[in-house]
Amino acid sequence: MPDTPCALEVNQLVITRDNRPLHYQLHIHAGEIVAIQGRSGVGKSTLLSAIAGFVTPQQGEILWQGQLLLALPANQRPVAMLFQDHNLFEHLSVKTNLQLGFDGPAPMQALAEGCAALQVSELLHKTPAQLSGGQRQRVAIIRTLLRPEPLILLDEPFAELDPATRQQAVNWVGNTARATGKTLLLVTHQQDDVTQLADRALMLG
Amino acid sequence: MSTNPINIDNTSTLANAQLAGRFAARHTPNSWSGLAALVAISLLTLSAFYGLINFSGQGADWQLLSEPYYQSILLFSIKQALLSTLLSLLLAWPVARALYYGRQPFASSFLNLCLLSFVMPTLVLITGLVALLGRDGLLTPLLGNDWNLYGLNGILIAHTCLNMPFAIRVLLQALQHIPDSSWVLAAQLKLTPWQRLRIVELPALKAAFLQLSGFIFVLCFNSFAVVLALGGGPRATTLEVAIYQALKYDFNIPEALTLAWSQLLIAGLLFALIGRAGGSRWLSVDTLRRQFTPKPGPLMRWLHHGLYGLCALALLLPMLALLDGLHQSDLSRFEPIALLQPTLTSLLLAGLAAGLAISLAWLILHPIRMARLQQWRSLPLLDWLATHALVAPAMVISVGLYILLLPRIDLDRYGMLMVLLLNAALVIPYAISQLRPRLLQYDAQYHALSQQLKLTRAQQRATLWPFIRPAFLSCFALMLLLALGDVAIIAIFGNDHWTTLPWLIYGYAGSYRIAEASLASLMLLLICALTVSLFERHRHRD
Repeated sequence: MPDTPCALEVNQLVITRDNRPLHYQLHIHAGEIVAIQGRSGVGKSTLLSAIAGFVTPQQGEILWQGQLLLALPANQRPVAMLFQDHNLFEHLSVKTNLQLGFDGPAPMQALAEGCAALQVSELLHKTPAQLSGGQRQRVAIIRTLLRPEPLILLDEPFAELDPATRQQAVNWVGNTARATGKTLLLVTHQQDDVTQLADRALMLG
Repeated sequence: MSTNPINIDNTSTLANAQLAGRFAARHTPNSWSGLAALVAISLLTLSAFYGLINFSGQGADWQLLSEPYYQSILLFSIKQALLSTLLSLLLAWPVARALYYGRQPFASSFLNLCLLSFVMPTLVLITGLVALLGRDGLLTPLLGNDWNLYGLNGILIAHTCLNMPFAIRVLLQALQHIPDSSWVLAAQLKLTPWQRLRIVELPALKAAFLQLSGFIFVLCFNSFAVVLALGGGPRATTLEVAIYQALKYDFNIPEALTLAWSQLLIAGLLFALIGRAGGSRWLSVDTLRRQFTPKPGPLMRWLHHGLYGLCALALLLPMLALLDGLHQSDLSRFEPIALLQPTLTSLLLAGLAAGLAISLAWLILHPIRMARLQQWRSLPLLDWLATHALVAPAMVISVGLYILLLPRIDLDRYGMLMVLLLNAALVIPYAISQLRPRLLQYDAQYHALSQQLKLTRAQQRATLWPFIRPAFLSCFALMLLLALGDVAIIAIFGNDHWTTLPWLIYGYAGSYRIAEASLASLMLLLICALTVSLFERHRHRD
């Protein structure tokens, strides 16, 4: 997307993990979908956590639309992130979980459409403990994509899904992100995710 | 007695225990000796009631239920227990939050002080409160002419001083079990402070609040020493004190029985309800990492510091007031050696009672573990029987057994044996509550593995002991502290040859020798503080 402005800049970022420095340098355009790949332990999830505000870098800077993100606490960054796990409050129903993370009232229509598309409409009154790993992940994907944040970070979002639901989820994520103009970074080990969803891939390490 | 047998089972632990139960095969914990111990402590209670009924030849006096005297006592018992519970929890919650969300100076010492406050013998607290807020108390001139410690005021203050520190520790523990991942998720979802409270904090505290409410209510409902010392007249009397008065002044056994049955029924019902209140529903893995706990704003930080400081002061003042009591009168005639024999007697009796209680609790937990592993339907009954002493009126049990045994054995000679036995029996519920969660956790984690590895009994003991040792030692220390404070049982079965420190304090206070009472209270407090300090040091090392 050479014509769109650069929205996310990660400049000379250094994060120490297990006494090992990890170096990052990347520029992402607004509305772009970028897959981040690399072998295990190379620091893919660490990068997403640093952008979201859960890991403090030793050096460098992260800018969103020209604004320095590192100065902001996690809850003030323009980011919606999907973790590898622990995305849902176990003691709340799926429906209540879906409604969290919105400034005002949750967009019920969009949430209902997302649930229908990813086939979790029947699960709304259950608690997360009653769902399978794939169902939990789909619920969390719906909420993450529909939150009003412009920057979406997905850490292995489709890892728990079977091939059929994976395809549905990939399509829905791609369509929703493009329709709403979100910038999306996803960590994945699957080449299919890159070819079907991403505009480009970044290889770390 | 001011501690409460609370523990919050983790649902995942229970689920694992049930899972492990499916693998329960040939070797299950030997439960016969445990069942025998359970029958023995149940028989003790039954014998006490039998003793009372048999002596009078009459049952309870049910006419009493419609009399205004009974109704006012019942209402007061409920009212003071409700208010004490409410006050203890409302004051404990913000202090627990202050400790959780911010760094407070001397937090570790403060938590030791909390432990000391809730295991401190009631008489020590009462002596301190009288020195502080009584007629000639240090702070009384500041409280106006209408101030009176005796009555509902004093009862509420004493109950709050005893139970709030315990509530602080339990609520703090519940807050510390909030998984870091929940705070990360809350931050990621940009939850407001109100949403964090509603969605993260309150659900984490719900089970603790429910159980604490129930236990503090039961303890205050059954309160004896506090109400006896600070209550006054029929307008400030609880069922337990009314039982004592019915037995001591009128020897009206039908009335005492009616009151006892009422107390047993109400406290027992509530106790059963607490048991059903369930445990925490946090299924996420607990972590010790506390990286993302929200940081309070400057105003909240100041508020937390202020509340924390006030609470520490409120807990310390009754203890410090004891020092002032020493100056109030002439101690020149007092011989410190007079404290030596009661101190040694107290330590010996409490040590033996603690040892007996923990041994019996250990045995009783065998069938309970087995019932849990094999999902017996009788589990709630076993649980109730094991902890029923908490709701059975101590005064009725002591007096009932006294009447039963008086014509049968030489109580002058064997009275102290009964003191030992009854003290042990009454603290068993606390020992069970201390050991139970750790043993169930062991079963959940390692029962299947032990079975799979075909461990012998000796090997099972060798694997269990290192796991249970810290809980076992803590439990012993707590039982020792609880037994040290007994007044009710020694009042019935004691004799002049075996004076304990609490009984000595009671005697001094009864004859207005406040300086001596303060000195003896300080000695008892010192023993308790040393025990708490040793116990906490040991716990941290483990």
